[in-house]
Amino acid sequence: MVDLDPKTLLVLVPALPLAGAILTVALGRLLGPRAHWPAVLSIAAAAVAAVTLLVGLGREVASSADHDHAASPVELTPVTLWQWASIPDAYQPAAATGLDLGDDLTAKAEGLPAAIPFTIGIDLRLDPLTAVMLAVITCVGLLVAIYSIGYMHDDPGYPRFFALVAAFVFSMAMLVAASNFLLVYVFWEAVGACSYLLIGFWFRKPSASAAAKKAFLVNRVGDFGLAVAVFLLWMTYGTLNFHDTLLADGSPLPGILGMERLADPSGYVAGGVGTAICLLLLLAACGKSAQLPLHVWLPDAMEGPTPASALIHAATMVTAGVYLVARCAPLYVACPAALTVVSIVGATTALVAALIGTVQNDLKRVLAYSTISQLGYMFASLGTGTLLGFTAAIFHLVTHAFFKALLFLGAGSVMHAMGGVIDMRRFGGLRRVMPITAATFLVGSLALAGIAPFAGFFSKDEILASLHARGWPDAHTEHHDADPHEGHAGLDLPAAAAFQAVSFRSESDGSAGGADESASTFRTLYWMSLFTAFLTAFYTFRAVFMTFTGPTRVPDEAGHHAHESPPVMTWPLIVLAVAATVSGWWLFSTHALADFLAATPSLTAPAVAATATPHAFHLDLALQGTFAAVAGIVLAAAGHFGRRSDGPQPERYLGPFETLFAHRFFIDEIYTALIVRPLEFVAMLSAWFDRSVVDGLVDFVARIPWGIGAVVRRLQSGLVQRYAVAGALGTLLIVLMLAWRLRG
Amino acid sequence: MNGFDTKIHLLLTIIAPLVGGVVAWALGSRGLSAVRQSAAVSTLATLGLAGWLVIRALADPALAAGLPVALVEVPWLTGDFFNVSLSLGLDGLSLWMFGLSALLSVTAVFVSWEAVTDRPVGFYCLLLVLESAMLGVFAARDILLFYVFFEFTLVPLFFLIGIWGHEERRKAAVKFFIYTLAGSLLTFLGLLVIVLWSTAHTNIVTFDIETLTDHMRTDPLPMTAAGGYLQMVVFLALLAGFAVKVPIVPLHTWLPLAHVEAPTGGSVDLAGVLLKIGIYGFLRFSMPMLPEATAVAAPWLFALGAAGIIYGALVALVQTDLKRLVAYSSVSHMGYVVMGLFALTPVAIEGANIQLINHGLASAGLFAIVGMLYERFHTRSIANLGGIAAKAPWLAVFFMLFTFSSIGLPGLNGFVGEFMILAGSFQRAWSGVSAAWQTWYLSLAVLAVVGVVLGAWYMLWAVQRVFFGPSREPPRHGEEPAESLDIRRHELVALAPLAVFVLWIGLAPGTFLGPVSASVRETTGEAAIAFAARMAEEPATADIVERPTSPSPLAVLP
Repeated sequence: MVDLDPKTLLVLVPALPLAGAILTVALGRLLGPRAHWPAVLSIAAAAVAAVTLLVGLGREVASSADHDHAASPVELTPVTLWQWASIPDAYQPAAATGLDLGDDLTAKAEGLPAAIPFTIGIDLRLDPLTAVMLAVITCVGLLVAIYSIGYMHDDPGYPRFFALVAAFVFSMAMLVAASNFLLVYVFWEAVGACSYLLIGFWFRKPSASAAAKKAFLVNRVGDFGLAVAVFLLWMTYGTLNFHDTLLADGSPLPGILGMERLADPSGYVAGGVGTAICLLLLLAACGKSAQLPLHVWLPDAMEGPTPASALIHAATMVTAGVYLVARCAPLYVACPAALTVVSIVGATTALVAALIGTVQNDLKRVLAYSTISQLGYMFASLGTGTLLGFTAAIFHLVTHAFFKALLFLGAGSVMHAMGGVIDMRRFGGLRRVMPITAATFLVGSLALAGIAPFAGFFSKDEILASLHARGWPDAHTEHHDADPHEGHAGLDLPAAAAFQAVSFRSESDGSAGGADESASTFRTLYWMSLFTAFLTAFYTFRAVFMTFTGPTRVPDEAGHHAHESPPVMTWPLIVLAVAATVSGWWLFSTHALADFLAATPSLTAPAVAATATPHAFHLDLALQGTFAAVAGIVLAAAGHFGRRSDGPQPERYLGPFETLFAHRFFIDEIYTALIVRPLEFVAMLSAWFDRSVVDGLVDFVARIPWGIGAVVRRLQSGLVQRYAVAGALGTLLIVLMLAWRLRG
Repeated sequence: MNGFDTKIHLLLTIIAPLVGGVVAWALGSRGLSAVRQSAAVSTLATLGLAGWLVIRALADPALAAGLPVALVEVPWLTGDFFNVSLSLGLDGLSLWMFGLSALLSVTAVFVSWEAVTDRPVGFYCLLLVLESAMLGVFAARDILLFYVFFEFTLVPLFFLIGIWGHEERRKAAVKFFIYTLAGSLLTFLGLLVIVLWSTAHTNIVTFDIETLTDHMRTDPLPMTAAGGYLQMVVFLALLAGFAVKVPIVPLHTWLPLAHVEAPTGGSVDLAGVLLKIGIYGFLRFSMPMLPEATAVAAPWLFALGAAGIIYGALVALVQTDLKRLVAYSSVSHMGYVVMGLFALTPVAIEGANIQLINHGLASAGLFAIVGMLYERFHTRSIANLGGIAAKAPWLAVFFMLFTFSSIGLPGLNGFVGEFMILAGSFQRAWSGVSAAWQTWYLSLAVLAVVGVVLGAWYMLWAVQRVFFGPSREPPRHGEEPAESLDIRRHELVALAPLAVFVLWIGLAPGTFLGPVSASVRETTGEAAIAFAARMAEEPATADIVERPTSPSPLAVLP
């Protein structure tokens, strides 16, 4: 390994895939069937760089950590590649304008200089959260790129596909490495554009181009939130930088997530403005991470090539929302109300998506809904506002990236063999046809369902634990004085005081019952999540049984040679299966991830760090989760195991609910009826108004001189005699007038 | 960078297209290819000269300090009473527009390469005269000169639309001409009042913009009931012409008609440069010379800008003609510029200034490609087109690029202006207005962000229907050669430079913002101060700043 400066490595992680994308565009036609090389090699190199960074930073964290679990922040000072723009004296705190606008608006501007430049650089930073994200993005990206060599084989858009994948890896890496909110916004939209182009990859298909547009537009609604949030952040903090900077005169300008502000317990606005910022950021996260009510684009996004679905719409891009909320943890913990909303949105999304997932017959759509559902888990966990919640969400993000990519690539392998058919009712018993795919898919399914010792079990357990800790805070005191059935063993923590002191201070300020109220909310969310775990196992194994067990059936489109996919596709499956098996256990048992993430500056804010709890295995929660999962698998087996996949299904017992679920709660229809149609009507009306009223008025005004002219024109008859008469009369008139005046 | 004198350089740049026009005229008998080649050579030469001049100006420290460079002053009427000289020069307000005019003229010639075969001599000569006029408008530092060039942009375009346009070309040309002329006459009257006011108080007739601006700073037009709100009256007179030109909703209906009927080259110049003269007028005249009236009008024009964004987007959404859709997108996008201008914060105004360039590049590119599609398929109807991306992938790539630029995708230029305008507008709404105005400003700013969503909607829907989906092609007229439908060489020459700047401004906007910042600030500073004063004195009365009443300007004429 060449000994490279970490800053160089950090720049290389996004730069290499960008170079790969450009090379693919430039040389695509020349390389022909080898057009994947620039993308695959550059992403591989970026993966090496990202893992090197991860390991290096991990060592640093380990060496800097003291023994009492109080993680000290570790980050690499930002690398500024170039100044994007710098506008002098752009920001004047409200106080400087002399207007009385109330404390809410001027809250954090006090103490700032009278005029601050609007300076935005192409700043990259590295901290544990970024390092984890970079490693996941590049590693999954690499496996997906390799897999695509087989999957996209013979596609006429072969170079275009690899160029877009490389461009996506670049954009996503920049998104998580960016050190200011503007850059985050830039790459937030850039990954959306890559997603748009990949969903619409087969643009001749009307459904694909419609899905692409829908994805972009729904994401734009989320971006609306991010844009307004960014503006409000700038208004509130006078800068968009994460890191601390110096002004031209040498005075410090604390960054939004810089050490100076993080160390200040009152560094973040609460109240209306703070909550508004957090909720707008949540809106953005809901768009990108397909949470209610903006989840509608993700199932349609399955129109794209399956490897793109695996990479973008399962493993990485859709987790950008989780990243954003985790990154902004200090902003959120200052606004407990917003945090609770995050949890509610997450848990509700998890449940709704899982319910819809139970009746889908399209294998990719089952997985799409499961992605939405699993992302919902992550949001539920983030919303707890505790260190455990934040790290659990990222933990689940990591394991989910592995097993969901695995499942998607497995589904792609099935689709590849079935001649493009993905409707589970049309094939069955494929374990005999494609054993490697079947085995790895099973591993992924066990991980998704949350069966020990597969990865999803551990991360989901942490999420349930974080919710449980908020729902039953008493159970986390040393005294165990809560109902033993509700509390759980293994958590003998001194943290409950910190919980109530820090995390929920404003609620307890507000009313004595505040903490109780939030506890009861989280209790509900916990049960919802547990029920979702049951549903998850059910729909996952329903898909497994329908696809891989029962009598072997192959659709006509597959031809006579339905077979296992080539090694270039199965090897990534195997690697991901290994990761989905061991990553959970390894990361959980060594606490490597949680300790590492705790050194992320954002998570060392006092309000977050105070909620730190010792690592524990929650046996009772694990039992509950496992019980739910096993019940789901058993129910799926009862309905589907060994049966013909097009046979009668247990869902028919759902009655009217089946219609509701099958139509995805009619949310698309509701949007069409409430938003799209009215807007189109207003647009028609505006166009009519424009044509008839506005332009009509212009034409009317234009006619006035024409009308006058029509009258005057009569006088211009061309008859000289008449002119002569008129001239004589006029002269007479003038003479008379002169005479009148002279007389007077 | 010591070439020849910058004065001569500037004059040469403005005259070069005219020389090219004469050459094209002389070569008229040699047929189409000689004419268009000479037009191409002269626009490219002009671009070279203009580009070099821009680089020289950028190297001049005076520019960054907000001072004009390449000053040309030719005394015309000088004496005790008259002090009129024809003066030209470039400063931060005009620098980029000057360069853009030269750039888009090249595009205009190359998109007409095969589209115009009827009477090419007249066409290219008019195009070159138009280029000269556009360069002159932005270089003029004298009201008379400005107005002459301004009117001179109308005449060539009138003929370009009226002769080389499509089915309803005559109606479109007349409407465009009368509408713009009517507005600009009022503008001229307003400018004359400013000249007379200064004459009355200094006893020297001058049309020099800088002198007049300085005079207005110390001796502004009255903004009191006693003074007849003269400043406001003049502001409204100026507004009449500039608002039509921009166009500000509801004075926009000439624009879609003119665009749809204009030949592609005309559309490129119209969208890319001519609309900007309205905004340039606000920056050059209204804001520095009439700051208090600007401050009074700002909330309303801010609102009209926001309304234009939404209104233009909604109307664009249901258009069935691709060119008309792009025209309405112009209405929507100019709404952002108007909004940014009258937000009166540094970030918003600088954003509006750069957005002029951005919109010029993106809309010119879009109009150019619509024209190329029309050449191939003889239709602009969205319903008759489909799946073009399969047949003309590079055309699709360029269209996507300009679409993404137009909908403000980060990394491309459109984002820079849009973001800055919205950020500045929020800043104004958040902490720059009195409590009474806050709801007004905040809701308009949010509305403008909604426009970003709508903008993506209509553009991407158009892309989906025209470029994606199953291949659909209207019946061809006559025999089309079996050549490729993808981009041709002259089309690449027309589009590639635009694409370069779309990326360049998007990736490093600082290069373009920095050098002009001082000029933009200086010209708009007075208006911003007047606005702040007005807001600080809420509740607002009409008499914001008391001035000693002055006699009517007409009464003191000799």
